[in-house]
Amino acid sequence: MRAFSLLATLAASATAALAATVQYDFSVDWVQANPDGDYDRTFIGINGEWPPPPIKCKIHDRVIVNVTNNLGNEPTALHFHGIFMNGTNAMDGPVGVTQCPVPPGSNIIYNFTVDQPGMYWYHSHFGGQYPDGLRAPFIVYDDDEPFAGQYDEDTYLTVSDYYHQSIPWLTANKFLTLINPTGAEPIPDAALFNDSQNIKFKVEPNKTYKIRIVNMGALVSQYIWFEDHDFKIVEVDGIYVEPTDASMIYITVAQRYTILLTTKNSTDKNYPMIASFDTDMMDTIPEDLVWNVTGWLTYDDNGDFPEPTLIDQYDFYDDFNLVPFEKEEPYEPDYSITVEVAMKNLGNGVNYAFFNDITYVAPKVPTLYTVMSSGNDSTDATIYGSNTHTYVLGYQEVVEIVLNNFDPGKHPFHLHGHTFQVIERSGASPDDATTLMYDPANPGTVNEYPMRRDTVYVRPNGYFVLRFKSDNPGVWFFHCHIEWHLAQGLALTLVEAPAEIQSNQAIPEDHYAACKAGGYAYEGNAAGNTVNLFDLKGEKLQPKPLPAGFTARGIVAMVFSCISAFVGMGCITWYGLSDLKTTEREVAEIIGEPLDDSDESK
Amino acid sequence: MVQIFNVSIFFIVFRESLEASVVISVLLAFIKQGVGRSADDPKVYKALVKHVWVGAAIGLLICLIIGGAFIGTWYTLGTDAWGASEDIWEGALSIVAAIIISIMGLAMLRLNKMKEKWRVKITKALEDSKIRGKGWFRRFMRKYAMGILPFITILREGIEAIVFVGGVALSSPAKAFPLAVVCGLAAGGGVGYFMYKGGDYMKIQYFLIVATCFLYLVAAGLFSKAIWFLQNFVWSGLVGGDVAETGDGPGSYDVRQSVWHVNCCNGQSSGGWMIFNAIFGWQNSATYGSVISYNLYWIALIASIMLMLFQEKHGHYPFLKSWTEKRKAAKREREEKKRLDASDPELESRDTDSETKEISISVV
Repeated sequence: MRAFSLLATLAASATAALAATVQYDFSVDWVQANPDGDYDRTFIGINGEWPPPPIKCKIHDRVIVNVTNNLGNEPTALHFHGIFMNGTNAMDGPVGVTQCPVPPGSNIIYNFTVDQPGMYWYHSHFGGQYPDGLRAPFIVYDDDEPFAGQYDEDTYLTVSDYYHQSIPWLTANKFLTLINPTGAEPIPDAALFNDSQNIKFKVEPNKTYKIRIVNMGALVSQYIWFEDHDFKIVEVDGIYVEPTDASMIYITVAQRYTILLTTKNSTDKNYPMIASFDTDMMDTIPEDLVWNVTGWLTYDDNGDFPEPTLIDQYDFYDDFNLVPFEKEEPYEPDYSITVEVAMKNLGNGVNYAFFNDITYVAPKVPTLYTVMSSGNDSTDATIYGSNTHTYVLGYQEVVEIVLNNFDPGKHPFHLHGHTFQVIERSGASPDDATTLMYDPANPGTVNEYPMRRDTVYVRPNGYFVLRFKSDNPGVWFFHCHIEWHLAQGLALTLVEAPAEIQSNQAIPEDHYAACKAGGYAYEGNAAGNTVNLFDLKGEKLQPKPLPAGFTARGIVAMVFSCISAFVGMGCITWYGLSDLKTTEREVAEIIGEPLDDSDESK
Repeated sequence: MVQIFNVSIFFIVFRESLEASVVISVLLAFIKQGVGRSADDPKVYKALVKHVWVGAAIGLLICLIIGGAFIGTWYTLGTDAWGASEDIWEGALSIVAAIIISIMGLAMLRLNKMKEKWRVKITKALEDSKIRGKGWFRRFMRKYAMGILPFITILREGIEAIVFVGGVALSSPAKAFPLAVVCGLAAGGGVGYFMYKGGDYMKIQYFLIVATCFLYLVAAGLFSKAIWFLQNFVWSGLVGGDVAETGDGPGSYDVRQSVWHVNCCNGQSSGGWMIFNAIFGWQNSATYGSVISYNLYWIALIASIMLMLFQEKHGHYPFLKSWTEKRKAAKREREEKKRLDASDPELESRDTDSETKEISISVV
């Protein structure tokens, strides 16, 4: 339980007008904690504390994060979700895309400037690591925000799902195995508010609180509301929006909403605030699962803390209708990528996730390092591998991503390095068998000024259309932010303006040092081949598909079985037709008389 | 189709009714040949024939009643929903069925032997059947000997059949029984009739060979299915409840154990393929276990047949020649001793009314 207080602290210099440098030294290590009061477990913490400390800076600041991996048994990497990393693609953080894993005992320095305001978060981008604890808010303050002065306090609120077991164990034993052929995601054990439960959010009457909300979970989207309190949405994913009245938001993992909440006149009551799982996203709901987490807007510390009122349905604000403060009309696309999302089983019996029949498999050399070591070949997508699903984008073009979701589940997709216009998002399909697909000739609803953000969900068997400008040279990952689906390979790679990356960016030595320390390749194509970039022999590929019908093994088995049956039946026939003399002999024995003409001792 | 006609039941009933009808046809043949003074008096002949049929009919009736009651009770007490252990039940029952059928099957091919054996037994029984003694029971037995023999035979064969059918078929729906039973009875009766009419031995033998081949195909299939069910049980346990929703597709089977898998033609659920499953043990998703057990079954059968052929030709099993001869010698000694005792002058009063002789209608 934590009490909230006024947040006005800047991490560094007091002169607000100058861009400062904010430095953090993070030692990533194991920490014991028990956030739901039910289960003590080890988390990945920072500097001996869990939850990890938030990063705070002002817009235009330079942030330097020196990460040392003291886990001892796992590599790590950090991604600063939503930060564009313009000109510093190497600092983005996803393993296999912009860097190698940082092995235990090594360190890496992330050094970048932040030129965007709002609420973000940072988290591990190695494997499915962050739900084991390595995630925290990243707050960028902006004195010039459009609603400056309209609030009294600037604070934040996190929601999360939470697993008792460790992610590597769950992935290996319960999730990515052949005994989970339907790909059912492990069910979380609890929901958390600020990595805790039953929090008391201290508020004073007649004040307006700016609450930056982030969902740091692994799987479940959540509905959040404050009983009897409406609020205004003012920012999503770092994009200011026209203040929009709402009483409930639906926030997927990795999304952020910043709201202005005005408190009531009196202090006679405390009001519950609730975050509730979207249970549609869970395959089964265990009987003992409490899928809500409660806190209270605490006006009176000594008053009652009532139980939340049950509601019949979730009446949330559809973020598609938010209007950005800086209005843009829909872009016209120069280049369009269409992908279909589907889940299938491959030859090892495991259920994987696909964009267009390709399930993402990380290459031997991080894609950015392939860009840096490939000279003029960097514009040919082949060198980046057969299973990284790479598209090479031009510079300063409008890129469109059309995503048709053939899976009956909701998926929140995130694009690194950019925000995008959400041009269209369909409703859910009426049944599992049909998928609503984007038809440019028959467009759906397009808002005059499309909403923009960096993480958006697609509805079951529906579609969405995104557009963005390729004005940020770098290698950017586009993937589902459900960690389980990322483990299943629901990702693709965008290599944006590789020539510009080569001429304007460099990889710091400590990044390469981390590769060397872990024995990872850092030059060449996806297979690590530095000589012939188009020779991909040895690259990592997805498992073979399930055999469709009879293989050689099956045919042999069938033939042998038929032969056995025929030989058997032949023997039966022989037995049936065999000599009648045998019968006479047997009969003689039964009667007890010796046969006339035979000697029994033959 | 397999839901109204269970192949295993048909074959068991066929086999048992075959043996019963052999007995009846032998009896009728004896009567024709003049046993029991029927050659002299057509009225006696007719009466004796009537005795045989009446005895048989009563026996059959009682069997049907017992059988019906047994099956009926079993099904009304509820056999459905073994639930999670259904696969284990199916597996165990299939193995039992396969074993029963295997043991019984080959005897059908020694029909002549069966007939001879019965002829000998009945001859012995009728010869020694000068049933002595007073008492209404013995008088009754004497008078209706010709009826009691088929009655007891049919009762015995019928109860055997009920027990075997119970072992084989309790996992199938109740409506699979009647048609199979009726067909089995008809087929068994038909063959017996042929034999009585002195029908061509070879024709009957061909028919029996085909029937036996079929029988063993079914048994091999059952054995393979049993192993398949057991492996399916293990797989369901690993995956948990989701197995049902995967249908025929990926996830409904263990890829590590798979020898072949086609996403159609499911022998448990899909029309014509269920017949393939019933007769040949076809699975759309075969495992190492199901394929290997199928082949092992045939190999075991072939080996057994070879052994039996060897024994019939040489009088003993391979390598057991001297052991067999010793046994035969000992048996002969015992017989000799019995004969000497019997012809002992002390016991010459065989014709007198003594109660020492037991009723010698043995239906062993």
